[in-house]
Amino acid sequence: MDTGELTDLEQDALAEIANMGVSRAASNLRQMVGEQVFLSVPSVKIVTREAASRLVERENVTKLVAVQQSFEGPFAGRALLIFPEAQSLELVRSIVGDQHSLEDVIDLEQEALAETGNIILNGCLATIANVLHRTMRMSLPSIVRGDGASLFEVQGTASGGQFVLFLFIDFNIKKRDIHGFIALLMDLPSIAALKTIVNDFISAIERQPSGHVG
Amino acid sequence: MLDNVSDLVFGPVFDTVDIGLVVIDADGRVVGWNDWMGRIARRPAKQVIGTSFYEIFPEAAGTRLPGVIEDSFKVGSSSILTHTLNALLPLQGEGGEPILHNIVVRPVSSVHTNYCLLQITDVTVAVTRERVLRERQNARYHAIVDSAPDAIITIDNDRNIQWVNGAVDHVLGYGHSELLGQKLDILLQPDNPLLPALAESSVDQKTDSAVSVVGRYKNGKFGHFDISLGHWRADQRDFVTTIWRDVTERVAADAALRDARDALQRTNDELESRVDERTREREIALRQLHESQKMESIGQLTGGVAHDFNNLLAVILGSLSLLKKTVPEEPRISRLLDRAIQGAERGATLTSRLLAFARRQELQVEFVALQRLIPEMLDFLRHSVGPNIVIHVEISPEVCAIEVDANQLELALINLAVNARDAMPQGGSLTIACHNEENGKRIGLPRDPFVCITVTDTGEGMSEATLARAQEPFFTTKGVGKGTGLGLSMVHGFTAQSGGAMRIRSQSGEGTSVTIWLPRAKEGSKAADADILLTPPKEVRSLRVLLVDDDILVSMGAADMLLDLGHSVTEAQSGPHALKLLEIDAPFDIVVTDYAMPGMNGFELAQKIRQRNPKLPIILATGYAELPADRSIEFVHLSKPYTSKDLAGALEKAVN
Repeated sequence: MDTGELTDLEQDALAEIANMGVSRAASNLRQMVGEQVFLSVPSVKIVTREAASRLVERENVTKLVAVQQSFEGPFAGRALLIFPEAQSLELVRSIVGDQHSLEDVIDLEQEALAETGNIILNGCLATIANVLHRTMRMSLPSIVRGDGASLFEVQGTASGGQFVLFLFIDFNIKKRDIHGFIALLMDLPSIAALKTIVNDFISAIERQPSGHVG
Repeated sequence: MLDNVSDLVFGPVFDTVDIGLVVIDADGRVVGWNDWMGRIARRPAKQVIGTSFYEIFPEAAGTRLPGVIEDSFKVGSSSILTHTLNALLPLQGEGGEPILHNIVVRPVSSVHTNYCLLQITDVTVAVTRERVLRERQNARYHAIVDSAPDAIITIDNDRNIQWVNGAVDHVLGYGHSELLGQKLDILLQPDNPLLPALAESSVDQKTDSAVSVVGRYKNGKFGHFDISLGHWRADQRDFVTTIWRDVTERVAADAALRDARDALQRTNDELESRVDERTREREIALRQLHESQKMESIGQLTGGVAHDFNNLLAVILGSLSLLKKTVPEEPRISRLLDRAIQGAERGATLTSRLLAFARRQELQVEFVALQRLIPEMLDFLRHSVGPNIVIHVEISPEVCAIEVDANQLELALINLAVNARDAMPQGGSLTIACHNEENGKRIGLPRDPFVCITVTDTGEGMSEATLARAQEPFFTTKGVGKGTGLGLSMVHGFTAQSGGAMRIRSQSGEGTSVTIWLPRAKEGSKAADADILLTPPKEVRSLRVLLVDDDILVSMGAADMLLDLGHSVTEAQSGPHALKLLEIDAPFDIVVTDYAMPGMNGFELAQKIRQRNPKLPIILATGYAELPADRSIEFVHLSKPYTSKDLAGALEKAVN
């Protein structure tokens, strides 16, 4: 089975679903922050873990921070929201507000990052589940730090053949532009299951020319 | 498990845990509420079971809780809501203080149905403890940084500003929160030494000295800052705290000081160079004074010698001319006499040049138009310089007339032309240019205006050493017997005596240019009628002449000439002697007196005679111009040495 390739249609469908997910997350964040929050997913692809680990180390930034949640259901795996570590503090400050001192921001970083990541990842996963009419179980978020290889367990022997559904995500909060990534690590069957479900979704849409979604 | 909430084991566990547990069903009703919740919410389980969660906590409806609870049911998501990002439930401690809490929302599936579990954790103690701890730790730090006069800015690895102190306001003009999250770069010029210093230094490699940069105030202006860097690490993150000291004023003061010092140095240098210049000027002046004193004494010496020599020549010439008349016409004797006369005449020319240099010749000042004089003498000049040298003359009609002795001027020009010729053995060109000079002071002359005549050749020029001595009498670069060394001396003496000046410019190989300034004719002077009608020689009548000369030899020569001319002569050896003779002796027709005599000079004698007998004609014989310029016109002059022809002319002029 061809796992690495998504057809253009599949890519568009997944990007569409992901954008619905992050816009739902954005509205949650907006409620929390009290200001406009823009989130967008400009592109989606399926890559190997090695490729994903290189993609996240953009401009040779190797110090990364990620919010991680595992999920299970018709397809299972780990979801990661990844930022360069230098940007995570900016993300936190933009969410908790400028009135906090640097020490506060450092103290709050862990919690705030976890909750923010939780909102975004939940948004994405919940939207995928909703759109595909499936239920999933998602764990609580945890924070992991490291380089691309350690985040994607490139050296790990366990669950060989895992692939990554890789989404670029751009944040714009309080005039700050922050670029990050969403990665869904899944094993081969899960990827296959996701593709099947996505194709079901596509054909369901094609059967309904009115374009009704979800 | 929820179906066994009332179970004997799990029921007490549910109520014993030290966090709040709330179980909600799909309709939003509370189906589980542990003792912790009962205590903190002050509502026991029996009061709230079966009630909608949002009835118990109406505030929760405005939070993220409804959404996450719904997601928990619908898609099985787990959520965390922290007190830092959310205002959650209005929980209060026993003293009424708010309880800071986080809520974890998790889906719970059982065989029959799904529930949602809220876990409410009291973090008040932990948060308060952290805050107290940090405040205690930071109190001293803040006391320092908040009162610091310097701006303190902490940045992260990406140069994002993470913290600033209050001083950024008055140091950089930014409000406290304006800078947070901005790049440090907005405070700097693009090309500054701070960014490389930041890149090179780290927690482990500290930079010792402050970095001097040009920083930018909020108003866009630039200032000078000394920035010291302090690296620190927290939670595996590197930060740099930069301390900005505004040294703009100091830099400006330093610059002003430096400028002042430079100015002082310049003034000093100028002063020194001025002193040097003055010293040089003084040395030049002294040298010039010395030179002029030397020239003066040479002039006096020359003048004295020439005067005496002139008298001797007068005797020789006079005697020779008489002798020629008396000896019979014998070709051999006649030739010898002619040669002797020629020699004496050349000697006379020489003495006249010496006298000219000594400024003691008698100048026949007249109105001279250069436009006329120079063209008239061109033929003679061409003849003097030879065919290899082209002569250019530049005289515009505007050049004013001058008042000088025309003969002496001609002689001066001939001297200059001859010098130029000798400087151009291979030929060349000679230029005589004339123009008006309004400002006499420019050339160091007390009065103006002048006319300036420049004679320029394209010859070999003079070395500096030669130039320095060029005006000295008898100084010559020409071979022995070729020149007298009196040419330029004559020109110099002539111009000086005429009230003008001479200047020589020359450089080896670059030709020579001699400029003479001569006084302009006063307005209203008229050109002497050049075409003086020559009066036909008259019948010579015999005159009784009183001849006054202290030099017996000269007197004898002159007496012989007078006798030869058919006059009678009475000799007197001094002024008083002459006056006595005039009193006692028969009336004289004319007095011929020497000028330079001890006691009473010729002029004084002439004046005394004029007082007693105004009608008596008087001839003053002088070898040089010692006569007061304004009075000399009163008497007829006779230049020494004179021939018998000169004497006859003067007698005729005086008597008529």
